[in-house]
Formats: sequence, structure tokens, C-alpha cells
Amino acid sequence: MTWFDRVQAARDEGFTFFDFLTAVDLEAEGFEVVLRLWDPLRHKEILLREQVPRDAPSLPTVTDLFKGAGWHERATAEMFGIAFVGHETQRLLLSEAFDGTPLRKDFVLAARVAKRWPGAKEPGESDADLQAPSRRRLQAPGTPKDWGPQ
Amino acid sequence: MTPYEIGLAALRASKEQGPPPRSRGVIALLEENCTVCMLCARECPDWCIEIDSHKETVPPRTERGRPRVLHRLDRFAIDFGLCMWCGICVEVCPFDALFWSPSFEHQTHEAQDLVHEREQLREWLGSVPPPPLLEGTSGT
Ligand code: SF4
Ligand code: SF4
Repeated sequence: MTWFDRVQAARDEGFTFFDFLTAVDLEAEGFEVVLRLWDPLRHKEILLREQVPRDAPSLPTVTDLFKGAGWHERATAEMFGIAFVGHETQRLLLSEAFDGTPLRKDFVLAARVAKRWPGAKEPGESDADLQAPSRRRLQAPGTPKDWGPQ
Repeated sequence: MTPYEIGLAALRASKEQGPPPRSRGVIALLEENCTVCMLCARECPDWCIEIDSHKETVPPRTERGRPRVLHRLDRFAIDFGLCMWCGICVEVCPFDALFWSPSFEHQTHEAQDLVHEREQLREWLGSVPPPPLLEGTSGT
């Protein structure tokens, strides 16, 4: 079943409330688009997932089924660079001038480069001690080497 | 009842009963328990806990003892403008120095006022509920 058909089938089964749509960056395995629906009568939820490749990731839009998915597809498009075919996704949160897809794991967050990691200090140290040269310091987990003010 | 009426009724009930158990309003710091181990600052995914401290050597307590080095807290601040209420800092603290208070009335008009320094973090202790009773017979 295609993505659209699966979402439609779930809706027709009673999952008539659209909660959210987003994506997960699986790195080499591409992306997983996640959609949560809610059945307000039976008080049940359903989570639909669809994996898309890393190269030119795209899925058909579900805005024909749920108008409210529009904003979520716009955010997912700009944050992950995933296209939703049949939906001309305009920018939602980022400015037109913004370059890049900030929720992809390989995207370097500029704010984190500019801010020093508070965990770099050892017990008994303050900001001033961070100036001390040539000490091996802990690095924030999940950041590339040599990040932040040196 | 319409969904709107259901929501309104829930809101009225919550005003009368107060926040539900384990509500996360704001984080309180019990400084006396903090050993400045830096674990919370390192585990916080949002980098919003700032801790400064210095080393202090205290003289030996007994005649043949050795002087000990203590870590003294100089600054402890949480930026609630960055915080996402994940609770990782409260969970990770090995010394029970951080607590959730259900108080959520700390809105401000200025982003920098969301940085709560140690005095403010101590004040939140006043609204921290007592710990839940232990289950079964383990508490008796
Ligand atoms: S609740 Fe989470 S985001 Fe907030 S200070 Fe604690 S670890 Fe950081
Ligand atoms: S984890 Fe607990 S003891 Fe360690 S620095 Fe944070 S508040 Fe203090």
C-alpha cells in the first residue's frame, strides 16, 4: 500500500484526528516520516511510518486527507529537505534566505559553534579556568571535533 | 458535551484541584546536596545549566589526617528560555539536589529574566511536594 493509501485507510478506520507529522534522520538508511493519528471515539492512537531514501527524499502529500497536515509538511520539508509531492511547501519557520536543513544530523548548528559547552568545565572550575591553555577537555556528545570557541 | 466544553470543564477542575501529581513547572536546587559534580550540566541536551565553582582546601579534621580539597559552588543557573522540561538533569543528579516544583508562574517579558540564578532556584524548593510514599511494605 502506498503512503497515501495507508493514511487514508487509517482515517476511514476511525483515526480521524490528525495529531502530527514529522521525520527522523536515520543517516545512511535515509529518513523515516512519522505520522500520528488519533481515534477520538475509541481513544486509540496509530503511528504510521514510511522510510524514504536519502537521495531526493519525497512522499505524496496527505493534505487532501487532512488539511491540518499542511503546516507539518511545510516544517518537515524545510527542516529535513523532504519533498511532499502535490504540495508546494512554502517556508514555515525559516526565512527564505536560510540555507540548509537544520534537523538533519549532519547539519552544523551555528548557535552551538558560537556557544561554549557548559559541561566542559570540571568540578572546581569557573569560566575563567576555560582560558587556561593546553588542557584536554571533555567534548559535548554528538558534536564534531574542534567545535566551539577554542 | 462538545470538545470545547470538555476542555473548559477540565480547565475549571484543574484550577480547583491544582496541578496533577508529578507536574513539571520549574526546577528547584537544594544547594546543600550539590557536590558540583557537573553531571547535570553535561547531560542537559539544551546546554542550559551553567555552573561555576572553585577548589578550597580544608585543614585536616584529626591530628594525623590530611587536608581535603572541596568544590565550592559559585554560580548555578538554569536558563528556562532554553530548557525543554525533559527532566534529564533531575533524573541524573546522583545527590538529589534537583527537584521538580509544579509552580509554573514564572513568566516574564524579558528573555534574560528566564535565567534563574541559585537564589531563585532555592526559592522554588518551597513549592516542591513531598516525595510519594514507597510502595507496599518497603516504607514501613
Ligand atoms: S529539564 Fe532538560 S533541558 Fe531543562 S535544564 Fe534539565 S536537562 Fe536541561
Ligand atoms: S548533578 Fe546534582 S550534584 Fe551534580 S552538579 Fe548537578 S545538581 Fe550538583
